[in-house]
Amino acid sequence: MTTAACFIIASRSDIPIYEAEVGSAAKREDAAQLPQFILQAALDIVQDLAWTTSAMILKTIDKFNDLVVSVYVTDDHILNIDDGIKSFFQEVHELYIKSLLNPLYLPGSRITSSHFDTKVGALARNFFCSRTQYRA
Amino acid sequence: MEPDVSIETSCMIRIAVLPIGDVPSTLLRDYHSMLLRHCTIPLSTISSFYTEHQKSPFAHQPWETGSLRFKFVLGGAPPSPWEDFQPHRKILGVIGICHCPSSPDLDLVIDQFNAAWRGCSSVLVQRCFAFSPGDSQLEDTKKRENLVLFPPSDRPAQELHLQTMMQDISASLLMEFEKWVLQAESAGTILKTPLDSQATLSSEEVIKAKKRRLARAQKTIGDYCLLAGSPVDANAHYSTALELARLTADYFWYAGALEGSVCALLVDRMGQKDIAIEDEVRYRYNSVIVHYRKSFIQENAQRVSPLTFELEATLKLARFLCRRELAKEVAELLTSAADGAKSLIDASDKLILFVEIARLFGTLGYQRKAAFFSRQVAQLYLQQENRFAAISAMQVLAMTTKAYRVQSRTSISKQSLSDETETGHVDSGKMHHQSVVSLFESQWSTLQMVVLREILLSAVRAGDPLAAWSAAARLLRSYYPLITPAGQNGLARALTNSAERLPSGTRCADPALPFIRLYSFPLHPSQMDIVKRNPAREDWWAGSAPSGPFIYTPFSKGESNDNSKQELIWIVGEPVQVFVELANPCGFDLSVDSIYLSVQSGNFDAFPLSVDLPPNSSQVITLSGIPTSIGPVVIRGCTVHCFGVITEHRFKDVDNLLLGAAQGLVLSDPFRCCGSPRLRSVSVPSISVIPPLPLLVSHVVGGDGAIILYEGEIRDVWINLANAGTVPIEQVHISLSGKNQDSVISIAYENLKSALPLKPGAEVTIPVTLKGWRLFLGESDTAAGKNAFGSMGRTLKDGSSPSLLIHYAGPLGDAQDIETNKSSVPPGRRLIVPLQICVLQGLSFVKARLLSMEIPAHVGESPSSLANMDSKPFGEAVGYSKIDRLVKIDPFRGSWGLRFLELELSNPTDVVFDISVSVQLEKSGNEDNLSVDCAAEYGYPKTRIDRDHFARVLIPLEHFKLPFLDGSIFSKDLQSDGSTAGRNSNFSERNTKAELNASIKNLISRIKVQWQSGRNSSGELNCKDAIQAALQSSVMDVLLPDPLTFGFRLARNGSENAAKLDLPKESDTSIHHIASKNSVIAHEMTPFEVLVRNNTKETIKMNLSVTCRDVAGANSIEGAKATVIWAGVLSGITMEVPPLEETKHGFSLYFLVPGEYTLVAAAVIDDANDVLRARAKSESSDEPIFCRGPPFHVHVNGTA
Repeated sequence: MTTAACFIIASRSDIPIYEAEVGSAAKREDAAQLPQFILQAALDIVQDLAWTTSAMILKTIDKFNDLVVSVYVTDDHILNIDDGIKSFFQEVHELYIKSLLNPLYLPGSRITSSHFDTKVGALARNFFCSRTQYRA
Repeated sequence: MEPDVSIETSCMIRIAVLPIGDVPSTLLRDYHSMLLRHCTIPLSTISSFYTEHQKSPFAHQPWETGSLRFKFVLGGAPPSPWEDFQPHRKILGVIGICHCPSSPDLDLVIDQFNAAWRGCSSVLVQRCFAFSPGDSQLEDTKKRENLVLFPPSDRPAQELHLQTMMQDISASLLMEFEKWVLQAESAGTILKTPLDSQATLSSEEVIKAKKRRLARAQKTIGDYCLLAGSPVDANAHYSTALELARLTADYFWYAGALEGSVCALLVDRMGQKDIAIEDEVRYRYNSVIVHYRKSFIQENAQRVSPLTFELEATLKLARFLCRRELAKEVAELLTSAADGAKSLIDASDKLILFVEIARLFGTLGYQRKAAFFSRQVAQLYLQQENRFAAISAMQVLAMTTKAYRVQSRTSISKQSLSDETETGHVDSGKMHHQSVVSLFESQWSTLQMVVLREILLSAVRAGDPLAAWSAAARLLRSYYPLITPAGQNGLARALTNSAERLPSGTRCADPALPFIRLYSFPLHPSQMDIVKRNPAREDWWAGSAPSGPFIYTPFSKGESNDNSKQELIWIVGEPVQVFVELANPCGFDLSVDSIYLSVQSGNFDAFPLSVDLPPNSSQVITLSGIPTSIGPVVIRGCTVHCFGVITEHRFKDVDNLLLGAAQGLVLSDPFRCCGSPRLRSVSVPSISVIPPLPLLVSHVVGGDGAIILYEGEIRDVWINLANAGTVPIEQVHISLSGKNQDSVISIAYENLKSALPLKPGAEVTIPVTLKGWRLFLGESDTAAGKNAFGSMGRTLKDGSSPSLLIHYAGPLGDAQDIETNKSSVPPGRRLIVPLQICVLQGLSFVKARLLSMEIPAHVGESPSSLANMDSKPFGEAVGYSKIDRLVKIDPFRGSWGLRFLELELSNPTDVVFDISVSVQLEKSGNEDNLSVDCAAEYGYPKTRIDRDHFARVLIPLEHFKLPFLDGSIFSKDLQSDGSTAGRNSNFSERNTKAELNASIKNLISRIKVQWQSGRNSSGELNCKDAIQAALQSSVMDVLLPDPLTFGFRLARNGSENAAKLDLPKESDTSIHHIASKNSVIAHEMTPFEVLVRNNTKETIKMNLSVTCRDVAGANSIEGAKATVIWAGVLSGITMEVPPLEETKHGFSLYFLVPGEYTLVAAAVIDDANDVLRARAKSESSDEPIFCRGPPFHVHVNGTA
């Protein structure tokens, strides 16, 4: 089993503003986008759920085959979708708020900062490297 | 697994619908749909067909409220191994459908029908419906079992007939069920499922099976009760079955009975749903699911599994609960069902499962989930690798496009599209950020690309070229930045390949490349400006701002506040142009076969154009067309024929895309990545088409290039005006605008006026006289430094040329119309004819000087007339040599005090100039020559100035002298000289000063310095100021004659000459003595005459004296070495000359030595008046006024 996770920050209007593939997955060509498809589909559930609970972390709200979806809903309803470790989400949320404070960043547009990218990558390595499960 | 299962499925009687013989598919579908209306047959309606043969086992049959339910399976189904377990899986009835016209032989139909249903053992009732039988078939009265002929009639009648038939079938089925149940109750049947081991039964198992038999029988009877529409009976049997099954641990059958009981419950309650029932159903079904799971037996897991039942039960529950409020619960159920898919062995089961899950999620409103599972379905179809599966995959994927926001435009409803265009039209430029975001909501590009790629793949496999083209187009257009050049090429190939399979001229709603945006709507060129006409005014063009080129003028204030909305007027039949920008951001050469404006309103003929766009390039092209009829024109975009398919590219879409790109929501701006400048929001103006107007076109005869003029050059330019419109021009007015308007000296406006009305096609030529303006000092300096062409470019760029504004209009239209509706007056137009004048520095004037020249006169027999100095040279010119116009100086008069105006000219240009000076002569003051009263011209030969050279031109100022010295003229001089007399200046003096100035001006204006260069450049040098400056100081000397004029002549025929001084006589006499005319011989007494003329208007008294000098200048009359002896008086001659007349005085000289002598006369004027004093510039009043004549030469021949 390979260690892999797909991490997406989706904006309020469900546009992915940040995508990252963490870990190395032995990808099959056709299945490469499967985690993303699952995450996108999970948004339906998340949208309903986010209004019914005050919890920010929604663990294992959806799954398909072996892929499990966990979600961290920020207070402005921007969704970080991933499987999850609480602290990972919190750290990334902090990063996200930092980038949101950038006056040049237009809320809702893509995060293209390479700095953000490396930080998320580093955090993800910390949290997921020990895991042996294929995650999404 | 079976599709479309629900809890109620258990109570449905399955009937196969089989086409018998040849039934057209549309008719079959039609008949099937007729059948589908009879899915439920109330028990109350079948009682007439029902006959109770024996006591019915369905004791609690609800005859009043109950009903039988049917499920029609078109084409039938293969027998299921599970039909014993669930009788609703059995095909219990068969309905054959026969279309009589295509199957004439009814016997054959019956045979085919029987063959069809006999394969199915479970069939209890069979009927063959023969629709639309012919007359012969109706007459064929032979009784055939199971064949029902539907007499030809209208649809309601047929439906009634069908309903009756269905009631008949229902009754038959009910009776069959009763039979079956009675039989089952009496003789125990062995009921088996594939789950039970098929191999030899061990004794233990046989005992077990015997125990279980009863439970299974009870369950099956319950099932039949349910099918017979008697839920209460069913429930009773199920209760028994549940008890027995639990005791025998027959979990599978237990679950089945439980399922049946839930169905019985629901049927009993007739669809009413309350919380209690819902809870009951949920509770029981969860138990069903658990028991199905329990029945899983490890040893035959490879062969058969109850998993499908578990999943079906889950789906049934999910479908039952499928409501928005219970979304969470349903989602969980569906997620667990999806989880079960891993363990499904059969691929088609998986397919059905995913289809059902997708449908349920869709019902729940979870579109993305539904799309996700639909995509799974499509992938399963694609794994099957056949064309029909690919078609299915394509169709399923097409359903997902909405959720993934990659819809084809064809699937978007027209209503929403028109809404978009409506709202977008208002303010596309100021779209709010939020609404822009909403346009790009859920744009998950990675997923969208995958979906589109799959659609493309499935469409290619399915052999649907249009769908493939559309998918490839969407993929390429939306995601080109994410596709490698190789991939882009692949897509381009896919587009071309698909197009090859399509008929030519196929249209597709989804545009591919290129990206097209509006670049600009050119306003009317200045040649076609439309001007609103005010019929009430003579100058109808005034007060209305022309349509261009200035959108805002400060003077149009208050006219229209709505400046944000551009309005454009097009004219029927006049071609218009629109600029659009095309971009090809991909890495291949894009060739657009044709592109033209797509106009919604249909009153526009667009001209197609073909364009080739290199990779990563953008290009602005001009699209043109002709409006064909009056009304508004709506331009939505362009119609493009590219990659073999015709598509419509809307400007609106690209505008939104660019807006999105500007907000960072879209991947890339196709225009920017092609190097085109940033987004410019160009909105489509509201365009209206008006009826034809006249159209004036102009061209300058001899080429429309710049008219190159040298400074001061005067030239005629012919401007050709033609009416290119279809309406005559009835009104026209020409005015000037721009800089240097004074360079247009005259416009032959009358030529144009007289040509009105200018019919269509007619033309008129008007001459315009131009004069090159003076370049400013700085301008000329730089121009001198540069070459001629450099300066030409500069002058052109400055826009210093004037323009002709020609306002013109067609007929006013109906007079009544105008009164009723002012706005109906057809507008006029304005033609701007820019006169492209390029003024080059030409001949330049350096300075002017006044020179004086003194040539002594010869004393001869023919004396000059002293009276009028002008007359003689003029007379000569006329009389002797018209051609030779050299300055003639009369040798007998000399030119003492002759003055020349020297003009120094330079030619910095690179052409040669010819200068000709002309002087206009005035004859008005001369009483002698009354016949000539007009101004005559006196010309001098041309002077040529080479390039880069200087030249001087001399203008003799001999003809300007006034005929007499007059005090009135003179008083100015008194003043200007500052003499005491002029101190008391008064009004009259000022007046005379002005007069004098006028005469100076007059003098100057008579001097014309004209130049010519090349064949057709000519002009006048403007040097008046310089001449005036040069003349100012000595104007008096030039203008005013001396008070006395002196002259000498030989007086051989003394008496005659003395008597008559008339010129003609002189000429006569001179003929006789022509040989000795000028000869004075030494040692001979020679008579002389000195002539004195009074040029004033008063008699002058004077004291005249004559001296004679030799070459050395010594006085040769007096002194020691006197060489001349004289007779007569030579000094102190007192003389009185009446005004403007001559007096002569005779004397004789005897020359002792031959040689050159000079005679000089001088006079002291007695009692000089103020005028004379002023002329002599004397300082004091008692100073004697001394007049001296010019020297006269005498050549004395002979030997010493």
